[in-house]
Amino acid sequence: MTGYGGGAGALAGLRARWRRLTVGRWLVTGIPWLWLVIFFCLPFLFILKISLSEPALAQPPYLNWIRETADGLVSIVVNFGNYGLLWDDSLYVSALFGSLQVAAISTLLCLLIGYPMAYAIARAPTHLRMPLLMLVILPFWTSFLIRIYAWMGILNTNGILNNFLLWLGVIEQPLEIMHTSLAVYIGVTYAYLPFMILPLYATLSRLDPVLLEAAADLGARPAKQFLTITWPQSVPGVIAGAMLVFIPVMGEFVIPDLLGGPDSLMLGKLMWTEFFNNRDWPVASALAAVLLVVLIIPFLLLRHYESRAEANGEEAA
Amino acid sequence: MKKVACGLARVIAWFTVRATGLVFAGSALNAAAQGSVNVYNWSDYIADDTISNFQSRTGISVSYDVYDSNEVLETRMLAGRSGYDLVVPTARPFADRHVRAGLYQPLDKSLLDNYGNLDPVILQSLADIDPGNQYLLPYMWGTTGIGYNVDKVKEILGDDMPLDTWRLVFDPEIVSRLSACGVSLMDDATEVFVAARAYRGLPTDDYSSAAAQEAADVVAAARPYIRYFHSSSYISDLANGDLCVAHGYSGDVLQARDRANEADNGVNIAYAAPAEGAVVWTDVFAIPVDAPNVANAHAFLNYIMEPEVIAGVSNYVAYANANSASVSLVDDVVRNDPGIYPPAATQERFIVLQTPSDSQIRSMNRLWTRVKTGR
Amino acid sequence: MNNVVANAEQEPLVRIRNLSKVFGSTYAVDNISLDIEEKGFFSLLGSSGCGKTTLLRMLAGFETPTEGRIFIDGKDVTDLPPYERQVNMMFQSYALFPHMTVADNIAYGLKQERMARPGRDERVREMLSLVQIEKLGHRKPHQLSGGQRQRVALARALAKLPKILLLDEPLGALDRKLREQTQFELVNLQERLGITFIVVTHDQEEAMTMSSRIALMREGRIEQVDSPQRMYEFPQSRYAANFIGNVNLFDGVVTSQSGDQVLVDSEEAGGQLCVRHSQPMTVGMPITVAVRPEKIRMVQAGDDLPNQMQGVIREIAYLGDESIYHVELASGKRVKYTQPNVQALAELPLTWGQTIALGWHADRCGLLAQ
Repeated sequence: MTGYGGGAGALAGLRARWRRLTVGRWLVTGIPWLWLVIFFCLPFLFILKISLSEPALAQPPYLNWIRETADGLVSIVVNFGNYGLLWDDSLYVSALFGSLQVAAISTLLCLLIGYPMAYAIARAPTHLRMPLLMLVILPFWTSFLIRIYAWMGILNTNGILNNFLLWLGVIEQPLEIMHTSLAVYIGVTYAYLPFMILPLYATLSRLDPVLLEAAADLGARPAKQFLTITWPQSVPGVIAGAMLVFIPVMGEFVIPDLLGGPDSLMLGKLMWTEFFNNRDWPVASALAAVLLVVLIIPFLLLRHYESRAEANGEEAA
Repeated sequence: MKKVACGLARVIAWFTVRATGLVFAGSALNAAAQGSVNVYNWSDYIADDTISNFQSRTGISVSYDVYDSNEVLETRMLAGRSGYDLVVPTARPFADRHVRAGLYQPLDKSLLDNYGNLDPVILQSLADIDPGNQYLLPYMWGTTGIGYNVDKVKEILGDDMPLDTWRLVFDPEIVSRLSACGVSLMDDATEVFVAARAYRGLPTDDYSSAAAQEAADVVAAARPYIRYFHSSSYISDLANGDLCVAHGYSGDVLQARDRANEADNGVNIAYAAPAEGAVVWTDVFAIPVDAPNVANAHAFLNYIMEPEVIAGVSNYVAYANANSASVSLVDDVVRNDPGIYPPAATQERFIVLQTPSDSQIRSMNRLWTRVKTGR
Repeated sequence: MNNVVANAEQEPLVRIRNLSKVFGSTYAVDNISLDIEEKGFFSLLGSSGCGKTTLLRMLAGFETPTEGRIFIDGKDVTDLPPYERQVNMMFQSYALFPHMTVADNIAYGLKQERMARPGRDERVREMLSLVQIEKLGHRKPHQLSGGQRQRVALARALAKLPKILLLDEPLGALDRKLREQTQFELVNLQERLGITFIVVTHDQEEAMTMSSRIALMREGRIEQVDSPQRMYEFPQSRYAANFIGNVNLFDGVVTSQSGDQVLVDSEEAGGQLCVRHSQPMTVGMPITVAVRPEKIRMVQAGDDLPNQMQGVIREIAYLGDESIYHVELASGKRVKYTQPNVQALAELPLTWGQTIALGWHADRCGLLAQ
């Protein structure tokens, strides 16, 4: 506020510099934005458009909003009925809850298994960390589908696991694992575990081990050290990992289809039915749009709280 | 109608096709360069030498892709600009819908010298969905019935129980006994509901929601004993002995039988077209409206209609073809297999699927999802 | 109770006996025995790699000794984990918990001993005011300057009022000005609180300024333990003499001893040197005479200095408050001699190439074994 006395010339120079700075900044931030617009916003707008149209037996199998009627008039027909259908039919709501349940439990399982693994890798001797991380990533080198088929071979009634347990004499009748929700959880947890481990590893490896010594020095036992120091600081990694697991599992189709039993009702399968079996692209699109909103709301809320916490910090400084 | 469970099989098929393409690229040099034709067919639905022979004879290079469900094909057709010259949908309800949606172009029969080899009875059976047989050219046909593990089922149900019946998958009293051994139904609302109605002795051409509900009640009663609903997994599960009874396509069950025989694992599989009535289906060739190589597509169709060629395919894939001139050329084992060429008595009870309206499809699929998930 | 008090009088606060720590095949700490008295400011001084930090970490409980025992207050703590020791540490990197506010950092140790809320808050306030950062309690560490962080680390380590506070290079990360100011604050704090401070430092000036006692370490062993004054005036080895301050060393041989006067014949010095020394010496024994540069002065007419020599000024290092002269003797030996700059620059009497006579009293130098 006191800077106005500084002379117009200096001010103009400052402005020019600021402008140059902002142009550079626009270039740098522009590329990810462009990416987001082309590969996220535009496709989503297409989906939104289809979700508001009416299905038809034609190519493509829906009607455009803007249509020319027989007498040469142009009419615009927007159909919100597809969203109404999703709301009215309890099937979609229960599929949403089915997906939420599978996603939540799998995320928890991934966290329970992935956290100790990420911790162990982060605390391993430096020369062992890269090989251990490679082992985590290694399954990606094989087709996802083939890996799920391998699980079918393991979990089948006559599969490797049952034969092994029978041979050991632990069980007398083969276990019914294949085509149950247990098989889905095993498959999903297996497939998404690396997505949990990698961000966790990233945060845990940055954690300064001296902080644990400081906590011990101040009287905290190992369990307390973990709860008060390691865990709170790894929360960003936990959130990142949980998102990377939760979001794709919400829309997961292949694993429940191949490993799951008849009673697994998930949005992915329902979307498949709408799209392929019912040929109802508008309803399938409406479902996709709703799923996106369901997933994006907690994400935005999180961002909101994070930026508010940051703003608070700035203010204090 | 062919379904192969494994993506691996698809990958292997792709490699085989590419490999043969390479081998015959050399010999194609001898013939005049005739361009190409893009074929989109079911996986494992052609003989291993059909394409290479065509290429070396005509000089037309074939780009051959495969799918494993009508729905996948249909979605690509509806999206448009698929780039394919020939596709192989199942006549009902798929090709029927596609014709009405205007997805295909009429066949130019002046280019099809071998058209006369086709079975007039089958052509006639398609006339109601394709008047004058303008768009669709029949390829293979088969039934949907029951595949079973002979020894295990007999052990559980006794030797006296007839096995050519829908009771094996719908009668709660029987399914419950087979449950531990494993029973599967196809994940296909139309197929299952029609079969359920046949089991109850109800008219099978009624697709009203009341009729669908009756069928759904039948399935619901058996559902607790059904291990899974899937339209292709049963092939390997039957062959491995993981499943005792499967509702499935004739050719797929026979493929499971052959696999078990090859593996020599003591699993003995048989196919039965149920006495209450098995669903009969026909797969047809069609040329998409936006096909880039229409002339070559006709050349390929004409080639396929040669009795030696199509007999070779039948021998290879174990399905009956729609070419009457080829019957004498089909191997005896195939021709005399009642699962492939059923006796006249069985044929009399065949159920021909109708094409339900869109709202009927929606309500059937909704009902189907509820029944499957037990909600 | 009486018993304990009686014991405390004869028992040092920290008693280290035959302590060793081996990493791989190298001895980081090699058979050290050391007593540390209560309420002092004790420094572990040495260059990097001398084992001082390892020793401190064994006191804190972060390293397990390979051999030997540590007693604190008469109790063997060798096998106690860090969280069961009445000892707190201020880390070189400060190790502040980045996800907690300053107040929560300070309260952390108190929470671990389940101190009730009101008392805890009161103690945190006391600590904040003790290190003069009353207003920073709600900030996060990343919002603080280096000096402020150092104060938080100190407050956190002091909050539990431990018997012993361990400080690992407490001033290492501060700039020079701040460091000098903080040195005095640390000393004042120690005197006010009566807590025993054990400080690791590589900076001899820092050790000299703050400590009541210094243990000079070298290659895992203790070279000398003494008060800063004695350490400076009476170093017991060439290493100690060299490490702390500047020193001139003349190698020679004992030629005679009469009373407390020892005569040393030194070729380097160009003749006999006379040293006041009360311990009996063996004639013919090789010995080194050590004299600090500031103990030397220029010989003036009528001076009766027992140790005198002539040399040529080769280099002059002007430091502002004083200058260091490097004087080359006839033997080629260079002698360092400092002189306070009482006069202004223009009037400096000494210059390069000038020949000057230097000398010192017999009681201004010492003898070191070779």
